[in-house]
Amino acid sequence: MPEKSEFELFVKLSIGQYMPTGSVIHRLDPRVKLLLGILLIGACISSSSLIALMVLFLAVILGLLLTRVRLRLAFTALRHMIIFLLVLALIQVFAVPQLREGAVVIWHRSIFKVTDRSIISGILLVLRFAVIVLGLSLFSFSTSTTELMHGIEHLLRPFQKIRFPAHELALTVNISIRFLPILIGEAEWLMKAQASRGADFGRGKRNFIRRIRKTLPLFVPLFIISLKHAQNLIEAMESRCYMGGEGRTHLIRLHAELRDYFAFFLSIAVVSAALFLSFAHIDKAVWRWISAQF
Amino acid sequence: MILSEMPVIEVKNLSHTYLPGTPLEVVSLKNVNLQLFKNETVGIIGPAGSGKSTLLHHLNGLLRPMHGDVQIKGISVSGWSGDIRVMRQKIGLVFQNPENQLFKQYAGDDVAFGPRNMNLSQKEVRKRVRNAMKMVGLPFSYKDRLTAGLSLGEKRRLALAGVLAMEPQVLVLDEPTASLDPEGRRELLGILSGWRSEGEKAIVIASHNMEDIVDLSSRVYVLVSGKILLHGATREVFSHYDLLVQNSLSVPAAAEVVFKLARRGYSVSTDVLNIEEAAREIKGLFHA
Repeated sequence: MPEKSEFELFVKLSIGQYMPTGSVIHRLDPRVKLLLGILLIGACISSSSLIALMVLFLAVILGLLLTRVRLRLAFTALRHMIIFLLVLALIQVFAVPQLREGAVVIWHRSIFKVTDRSIISGILLVLRFAVIVLGLSLFSFSTSTTELMHGIEHLLRPFQKIRFPAHELALTVNISIRFLPILIGEAEWLMKAQASRGADFGRGKRNFIRRIRKTLPLFVPLFIISLKHAQNLIEAMESRCYMGGEGRTHLIRLHAELRDYFAFFLSIAVVSAALFLSFAHIDKAVWRWISAQF
Repeated sequence: MILSEMPVIEVKNLSHTYLPGTPLEVVSLKNVNLQLFKNETVGIIGPAGSGKSTLLHHLNGLLRPMHGDVQIKGISVSGWSGDIRVMRQKIGLVFQNPENQLFKQYAGDDVAFGPRNMNLSQKEVRKRVRNAMKMVGLPFSYKDRLTAGLSLGEKRRLALAGVLAMEPQVLVLDEPTASLDPEGRRELLGILSGWRSEGEKAIVIASHNMEDIVDLSSRVYVLVSGKILLHGATREVFSHYDLLVQNSLSVPAAAEVVFKLARRGYSVSTDVLNIEEAAREIKGLFHA
């Protein structure tokens, strides 16, 4: 197994990475993907049923398979936050008092109480996060930042009537996303340069304070570099007579096709099915049915 | 150069892939072999994106070999379990545009960053900063100047001093003269050859500027798409005019003149590296 370099920050940045495979999902209208993404997150948050979340989970996995990006990549993002998630789930299991009322107590010691409901809510939390993170991966794998920008701008266009700066917002989002890999690249470069002069980034991972102290010298040059980038960008835009969104025409015109409508309504169907399952207390019914069998 | 001697740096069958296992993976080095001996300067030339920087980053252990091996004084970098910083201090790496990486407010502190990381005494650090600044031709009083207030040439020399202050045995430079004016370039090359002649030192220099290579190095490696296309004595490598031009490279300007004359049918010998030799050939044309 070849040893990984401590400086390849890009490897750790699997979330938010565009993977151009040209699949069906890639060719969908970004507006549709944006709306569906928002819908998915909404459905995840509002449904409190294991079965409903499983349905959404499977739908996202199906979507990921359709992008033809290796599934493992989507799960690396999840793997990085699994400890964080487990801690959250533990807090949920032990510390949320309203989950104790009228529930079956499974384990009880002094002030700590674990009930069947609190366990289920812990599992729900992990599952919810997993679906959202995988959904975001699905979106970012298949949508380039330009598409994202056009999508946001088109979706917000109706609000321009009430003087909402749709174009400017979309541009800001685009620039900040676009600059992320640049800044990471610069940070990697600076780390390497400082490591070449004996700075220590690899060892002492456990010593948090020392790690922070070692990263502090990165911020000064990184800040200067990002200001320089911003200045260059301003000059480049000015020299091409950028005047803001007003009267600007677009190279890419978005128009929804049959497959977009198809994807949209299929996903709406899946999400409403999930929501229906959740609101119809399907979990309880299934649980009752299973108990009745034994 | 005695070939039986053990090389200071030896690269054996080195391969490297960026972002392996993702759709974005890029093979940047493929079976690269390179040797660097004491008391020599080796040039690396290659078109943009040929893997030069990746190769240089392997020379001081910034990147660990994925396949193949890098040995520093006979010790394998991948097998080295001790403090990698020792290797990085022995092999001083000067990055492309190193002036962008200065981060201390005062010039002297930036030069002292390397020695301070070596846990040397305050007195020793001061001595090294003084020596290093002298070597790059910056007055010691510059140590109290604001880094941001220095000129580009001064900043670059300051960055070089920051590496020299660690007293490395090998200096690895990535495009050291890029974006310097001719005067700045001459100064920098003078500093480098002066440092090398101190004895027991070696330099690896990657550059797009063929004159830099001719002025400094005795041997040249040509890296194209991550593979060593050519290597040998500088004169030998620069005799492959057509091959170099095909690969977006070139020969030194003086040699190019003679190669172009030869192509137009003038009877000149193309065994030319510098202006004196080119002048000799052109003079020969008038006598004929």
